[in-house]
Amino acid sequence: MIERKVIVGHRLGLHARAAARVVQLSSQYQSAISLLRDDLGNRVEADARSILSILLLAAAQGSALVVRADGTDEGEAVDCICEYLKG
Amino acid sequence: MASAGVAIGRAIRTFDPLMISYNFHIPQSETGKEVARFRASVEKSRRQLERMQAELRQSRIPESSFLVDAHLLILQDKLFVDRIVETIQDRAVNTEWAIQQVSEELYAAYDRLQDDYLRERRGDLEDIVRRMLHNLRSKSSSTLPVLPYDAVLVGKTISPSTLFELRANRVAGIVTESGSPLSHTAIVARSLGLPAVMGIHDLSDIAPGEILIVNGTRGMVICSPDPSTVREYRQRMKPTRSPLRPRDVHIPAVTQDGIRISLGTNINFSEEARSAVENGTEFIGLYRTEFDFFREGGKPSEEELMAQYSRVLKTVRPAPVTFRTIDVGSDWNSRDGSGSSLASRGLRFSLENQDVFKLQLRALFRSSRNGRMRILLPFVSTIADLDAAMDIIAGVKRDLSRHKNAFDKEVPVGVMIETPAAAHTCDLMASRVDFFCLGTNDLIQYYLVVDRSDQSAAHLYNPFHPAILRCLHQVYTLLQYSGRPVTVCGEMAADPAAAAVLLGLGFTSLSVSLSAYPRMKEAIGSLSVGRLRELAGEIMKMESPKDVEDRVRSTIA
Repeated sequence: MIERKVIVGHRLGLHARAAARVVQLSSQYQSAISLLRDDLGNRVEADARSILSILLLAAAQGSALVVRADGTDEGEAVDCICEYLKG
Repeated sequence: MASAGVAIGRAIRTFDPLMISYNFHIPQSETGKEVARFRASVEKSRRQLERMQAELRQSRIPESSFLVDAHLLILQDKLFVDRIVETIQDRAVNTEWAIQQVSEELYAAYDRLQDDYLRERRGDLEDIVRRMLHNLRSKSSSTLPVLPYDAVLVGKTISPSTLFELRANRVAGIVTESGSPLSHTAIVARSLGLPAVMGIHDLSDIAPGEILIVNGTRGMVICSPDPSTVREYRQRMKPTRSPLRPRDVHIPAVTQDGIRISLGTNINFSEEARSAVENGTEFIGLYRTEFDFFREGGKPSEEELMAQYSRVLKTVRPAPVTFRTIDVGSDWNSRDGSGSSLASRGLRFSLENQDVFKLQLRALFRSSRNGRMRILLPFVSTIADLDAAMDIIAGVKRDLSRHKNAFDKEVPVGVMIETPAAAHTCDLMASRVDFFCLGTNDLIQYYLVVDRSDQSAAHLYNPFHPAILRCLHQVYTLLQYSGRPVTVCGEMAADPAAAAVLLGLGFTSLSVSLSAYPRMKEAIGSLSVGRLRELAGEIMKMESPKDVEDRVRSTIA
């Protein structure tokens, strides 16, 4: 399992188009992928293949997320998702 | 009362008043089938969206196809799809209900977000939910799934057209929060013979599947009754319909002293014409055309309307049919049943929306040779409005003649007397039109200042009020020598005691709902107009509505 921190660079945050792209990218990998956000001490977790849960993260531009992947291709998956989230 | 009679059934809740769906429990053994039904609807929605996406990509705005991407992703989203499947399986509910439960949880989550832009994303989810509910309706999109048991429909509001759609579908009764005995939903319920209770303050405690007894006669709902109560009610539920035997239905309505009363039927939907004829109706005294006009939600074409109107005329001929032009602004279409502004009621709407008015008039005239048509203008309040309407009618006729369209040039045109203004000026209108109808429902509400959608004011609505008696008497007197026939077609004509007052005042033509027809035919046979004339003289001097009503009821008993 790998975790990596990333700052959301998209101007509108993880809005509909960006969230849709994350789902599409995540679907290319075998690994389970999730996005985690620290919300006032509560960790909110979203399945990177669920557009509804990503939108519910409400990650605005500049917010910090942790990308976590677990599986055979976890390294590539985390690289790819983090690269995209940086904007 | 909203609609009399007793019904026993399981509660079914309506979800979206515009997107009718049922919520109900299914047997545990059926959940597999229900999940398959859900998956099929997901599949169907996906295909539709993919087609839309392909079209958008070819269009001038290919970048907008990403909006469809979001919808497609929701359809494969575990948070949505898997939770709906789990809900169907774990709670043994039908797909529509499961979709509602899951989407409402998600809506709530969206509503909690701080970000305005993201909060608005719930719109995507709403779109998908609406699409799926639509796709879940069986093959032809206008039919609803067949109910598994006798049902009582429970909802904040139920529209008249929904009610009509449900007529053949094991709906035994209805209970609503809004609406009153005078609302159009109640009128339709009565014409369908469906017991109804309306204006219940809060229905949120009624669980889907719960057994309910709807006592429309007493205006009472019993939730989860014990078995002995159910038994007692079942025994009491002797058929209340049609006291007349089939061979008796064509016998005309004649009073004991030999006065012939014309008795017609009011209908709200074209399909009711057939039942009215089978019931032995002498004519259709009022066809409220707005229900059919707006049934599919949009504007019908002239040809569609012509086909519908021709069917009604052919079914009823040689008897006449009075087509009332669309009367919007009352409660037929409003989501909350509250009705809209009086400024655009009835004829006022038609004068403001002349394209709609002309469309309907053209369809009416062009179908007029299929039977005997009369055209009735609703909610007339000034001579100027009436003249404007008559000008439009003349224009439509000229236009049809010029284009060599065949139509009956002598179709009678009449005025519905339902505003105090019309009641007091009907003699001035008489030279301009061929006949009159008295719409007592609205007339009484505007005379006595009672809002008909307000349940708390319903007790103030009283046809026995001295002001109403005087008004009716005046209308009769003003039109007595005009040579213009008058038919009374409000609910007042469907209550034997109130109808007795009308006969006593001199009226000889009544039109009532389908369900009241047999009862009224029988009631008329037991009355004596000579006796009622004397009665009318007596009650005209009385001061309280209660005294009037007691006096009338004891006389006819």
